Amino acid sequence: MSVRVQGLDYGKLTLKDALDLAVLIEEEAKERYTEFADQMQLHHNAEAESFFRFMAVNEEKHRAELAGRRARLFGDQPATVSSTMIFDVEAPEYDEARAFMTARHAMEAALRCECKAHDFFVGVLGHIQDPAVRELFDELREEEVHHQALVKREIERLPPDSGFKPDDFADEPVAQ
Amino acid sequence: MNCQPKDYKSDLKPIWCPGCGDFGVVQAIYRALAAVGRPPHEIAFVSGIGCSSRIPGYTTAYGFNSVHGRALPIAQGLKIANPDLLVLCAGGDGDGFSIGGGHVAHAIRRNLDLTYIVMDNQIYGLTKGQLSPTSKLGLKTVTSDLGSLEAPVNPLLYVLSYGAPFVAQGTPADMAGLASVIEEAIRYPGFSFVNVQSPCVTFGEDDWQLKQHKAVMKSVASLGHDASDVIAAMRLAQAYGSELYTGVLYRAPQPPSTYDALVRERQAEQQKKALPRERILELFAAKKKETAA
Repeated sequence: MSVRVQGLDYGKLTLKDALDLAVLIEEEAKERYTEFADQMQLHHNAEAESFFRFMAVNEEKHRAELAGRRARLFGDQPATVSSTMIFDVEAPEYDEARAFMTARHAMEAALRCECKAHDFFVGVLGHIQDPAVRELFDELREEEVHHQALVKREIERLPPDSGFKPDDFADEPVAQ
Repeated sequence: MNCQPKDYKSDLKPIWCPGCGDFGVVQAIYRALAAVGRPPHEIAFVSGIGCSSRIPGYTTAYGFNSVHGRALPIAQGLKIANPDLLVLCAGGDGDGFSIGGGHVAHAIRRNLDLTYIVMDNQIYGLTKGQLSPTSKLGLKTVTSDLGSLEAPVNPLLYVLSYGAPFVAQGTPADMAGLASVIEEAIRYPGFSFVNVQSPCVTFGEDDWQLKQHKAVMKSVASLGHDASDVIAAMRLAQAYGSELYTGVLYRAPQPPSTYDALVRERQAEQQKKALPRERILELFAAKKKETAA
């Protein structure tokens, strides 16, 4: 099992740390979706690119909301949580991307990420001592459920899948 | 200095195939560098040729995407010329263990303080899927229609046999673990080697992608492995190709002197034997007088 967050004692997590952690999780997801969109652009896959850009915008919106809350409550107090500690909490893992993935594959990847993030918050909630942190993480967990519903709705609106797998479109190895 | 992973990320966008293992490797490198905390201008990244050798361009450190198989000699020259630089070297299995294979042994015995990261995908991906030195026996590729007849090179055993003082293995399927071994390799005072199982999504085997890595990888720490025991490390290394062990296989408990330290010592010794500057000038003046007369 891969580690998602390294070097944090959830039992000692303060509200400031928790908000910093949540901001970094959204930031990582935004950056990864942007990377995925750039990869799709490079491979002329406009459908998947546009969905990943949409996800990046949403993640940035959440990041900005959380960062605003952190600034209102704690001003510019230094952070003890850093981005070196976060590993794909809500961000799609790199092997989710494929050059010729369809919009459906892209949305399914995003849905797995929302589920993964939900599982993360469920998993850590049991270790949280501070009631304010528990409330925040519970809210974030609930948001992930809401996001899952949104992505599922987007998937339902798609036309039926062609049945092709993204790998069916990969270049056949040929002698040079 | 408080460095963040994004401080090491350049504006150049990677052009690897989506799903490539190298995306995770470069992320792990950003994180390891941020944890070490050296600013980008104090770091030099040298690579050979291949998909993975594009890595220097994706970092903000000084970079040199050099010649096929020649990353190590260039990195060594760089380190000797400027010992204060943190020198990283990267490439693929073909670059490191085929065309550049001869350099690995000498880089190890010379033991300069540099870190060599090999992205081992068991195939030549950039040239569209030919057999590489680590391709497994029987692998069918465009150059081995009926299956490879050659046993693969074992990179872990290779470097351990030549006496590498730090040897580790990782996979981007466990980015936290990979970032941590790269960080440890960078901090190790001497030649450090990290073999990264980084699958080729386009020409690699379907049953050896990151999802399979996740299912089978075993951290050597969880097996109770003693990383100071070179024989135990060699025993684990022998399972290359059948088991995916991750973590530090070997860390020499007494780091041997590095080549750059030995050169500095030699220079100091020679300086002791050297004549004082004034005496040299006197000798020159005497010689000049003698010639004029």
